[in-house]
Amino acid sequence: MADPRLFRLRVRYAEQGRLAMLSHLEITHALERIVRRSGLPFALSQGFSPHMKIAFGPALPVGVGGLDEVFDIQLTAYIAPDKALSALQGASPADLAPHACAYVEPSADAASVAFPVGTYEVTLDAPLAHLSVPDEVSVMRKGKEKVLSTADYLVGAPRLEGQRLIFALRSTQAGSMRADAFADACIQLSARGADDMPKVITFMRISLG
Amino acid sequence: MTRSSIWEQVAPLLRSIERPGRYAGSEWGADAPSREGFAFCMVYPDTYELGQANQAMRILVNRVNMHEGMVAERAYLPASDMADAMRAAKVPLFSLENTTPLREFDAIGITLPHELCATNVLEVLDLAGIPVAAPDRAEDDPIILGGGPCAFNPEPYVRAFDAILIGEGEESVPEVLSVIRACRAEGASRARILEEMAKVEGTYVPLLHDPSDGQGHVVRKRVFQGFGEADPWEPMVVPFVECVHDRLNVEVLRGCARGCRFCQAGMIYRPVRERPAHAIVDAVKRGISETGYEEVSLTSLSTTDHSQISDILRDLNAEFAGTGVRVSIPSQRLDAFGVDMASEVAGQKRGGLTFAPEAGTQRLRDVINKNVTEGDLMGAVDAAMSAGWQRLKLYFMIGLPTETDEDVAAIGQLANSAFARMRELTPPECRGRLKMTVAVNVFVPKSHTPFQWDAQISPDEARRRVGLIRDAVRFKAVRVDYHEPKTSFVEAVMSRGGREVSLLVEEAWKRGARFDAWSEHFSEGAWRAAAEHVGVDMDAIAHEAHDVGDALPWDHIDTGVAKGFLIRERERALAGQTTEDCTFGACSACGICHAGGPGTVLQGERVQHG
Repeated sequence: MADPRLFRLRVRYAEQGRLAMLSHLEITHALERIVRRSGLPFALSQGFSPHMKIAFGPALPVGVGGLDEVFDIQLTAYIAPDKALSALQGASPADLAPHACAYVEPSADAASVAFPVGTYEVTLDAPLAHLSVPDEVSVMRKGKEKVLSTADYLVGAPRLEGQRLIFALRSTQAGSMRADAFADACIQLSARGADDMPKVITFMRISLG
Repeated sequence: MTRSSIWEQVAPLLRSIERPGRYAGSEWGADAPSREGFAFCMVYPDTYELGQANQAMRILVNRVNMHEGMVAERAYLPASDMADAMRAAKVPLFSLENTTPLREFDAIGITLPHELCATNVLEVLDLAGIPVAAPDRAEDDPIILGGGPCAFNPEPYVRAFDAILIGEGEESVPEVLSVIRACRAEGASRARILEEMAKVEGTYVPLLHDPSDGQGHVVRKRVFQGFGEADPWEPMVVPFVECVHDRLNVEVLRGCARGCRFCQAGMIYRPVRERPAHAIVDAVKRGISETGYEEVSLTSLSTTDHSQISDILRDLNAEFAGTGVRVSIPSQRLDAFGVDMASEVAGQKRGGLTFAPEAGTQRLRDVINKNVTEGDLMGAVDAAMSAGWQRLKLYFMIGLPTETDEDVAAIGQLANSAFARMRELTPPECRGRLKMTVAVNVFVPKSHTPFQWDAQISPDEARRRVGLIRDAVRFKAVRVDYHEPKTSFVEAVMSRGGREVSLLVEEAWKRGARFDAWSEHFSEGAWRAAAEHVGVDMDAIAHEAHDVGDALPWDHIDTGVAKGFLIRERERALAGQTTEDCTFGACSACGICHAGGPGTVLQGERVQHG
């Protein structure tokens, strides 16, 4: 239940460079510490072990960075967005720095579901001769192999631009397809052979929508 | 010459190994220094998660960076998957800040935090492409320095190190590095650098001195003279990856004079030096705001002994009320006051509470000078129950000098009494939630303690004694856990061995021993085969007692605590006599206050609580 006395600030940030190697859990801890260091008046939950009222956007796999990621932090007092932004920037490592923030309605969708479509860009160390998109991608979930149908998740057609592979995936209530699993499947299907498999240099989610 | 950065070689490896964040650096508080000029790399010989919070790493990197014209970086031993990937790809061990290969540094410092890290030291050097034995190093190889608690018996480690720094490194590390820098600047030979380093107090150069050479060369430990006055805020790195002790740590005092006779820390970190309450409180406030941590631990060997601990906790609780910041203290004193202090900081959270009676009978507790009674334990249990705790953990040792089967069984009986008391104080419908863990460790005789002459029991005997405890325990909710006696056996060999053990370590590492402290990696076979190969009798080292008059492998290391005091304490132990903590009562004449340096520094009167 949204508390109307609180101010809900939506922060846009990048996760890039070496920090793309962090897990979602590690990123969430780092963001909490950024908020604490920023000195912003964040709200705490009630109860036996009070915790910061912060909510995170959709998770990124280890090894995948993001240019325009999102989290929501609830504040107990109104702070002008530009002041809040500079406080957060001063408390952030360079590769995990916020670049924009704005208040959103208390009733707005949670950060984790408000942006179901992610667009990804994979930079390879060699170009793919052509692009084949698999109909199905098999992933491991809770130790079991699960086969997902690409059509349920893919938005538009993936494309090649030189050494870059660009595609968009949609998450649904039923779940999501890991972008790294999809990209690996595309590369395997499109490469000429096991000896000629291009390697991933960078992997970024370039936008959330 | 500019040092290189090999991030481009490291990055591809990170896509296929576990928790790559450990190797990425870039943490908050870890700014990459210049790649020019004299550089030192501080290494923890175990994984990042275990070593990130290590005090020596933090303090010494800060100290060196504060020194004009020197920079310091950090490195850790990669986990085995990463080490294998690095070897396959021919990527050498690198520092985190600049991803610079270790072999490009002028000097490398490796801390020795516990007895099971010796093979990891060699693994570090080998991954770095540096010869693992000091005599094999070329003129241009980095100078390899060692230090830390295990350096107090340096002999089992000497093959790997060019110099071993004994005692506190705040001042001695920059001094030794200055010597190396000056020598390098004038193009001095490696042999000359060793000679010059040996002139710095507290520095042991094994290639120049051998305890058996009859020269009588003694190395006196260094004590950080300015500890009490130094700002307790020590800038720190905030990791991204979840690590042990992942919180703000503020060191409130150093040293402990309780005088437990098995405890090496209680002897080698003397004298006791407290920092003032106001400086501690200011440091915590600053640390919380600069790190963003939600928890602070007030660290030391005995935090609740600080003469101003009540004031410190009161001020901190007032400061952080309503912010979600928790204050913790690393261990509880075994009495009602200890529990009061624990509940002062626990807020509304009640995890487990840990006590260390160490022995089951009053007789044996007197022998080891653990000055607590069964009444203290029961008082602590009462206080813990009324403060709302439901889980207790009790630490004990087996194999202590003079221990009988009666003492061992008494551990189980003491646990029974404590647990029965817990039940008595709990309404019947809530008793199902009560739990107790009895954690049992095998006594490892440590150098520079009153029990340094005593032997360790064999692993088989240890298992038999654990069985006696299990037989004595009457409640299902009381669990008896024990530490694998085979690794404790290697600890004893490292703790008591001489220079020959250094060859054993090298041979064990060649036969695949690494990560000996990790039960899934520990290989008794590698150690046994190595011992046979180099002709070292591990059983004799661990299991044979020495006479008080015997020469010991660590006699050339002077901790400032007089050997006469250790002998006297051993005699008192055998007579069942206890010795008072001098910070609460009379001087016990250990010698530390006359060893030069600050002596004991208290901020107020310490009061004994019942």
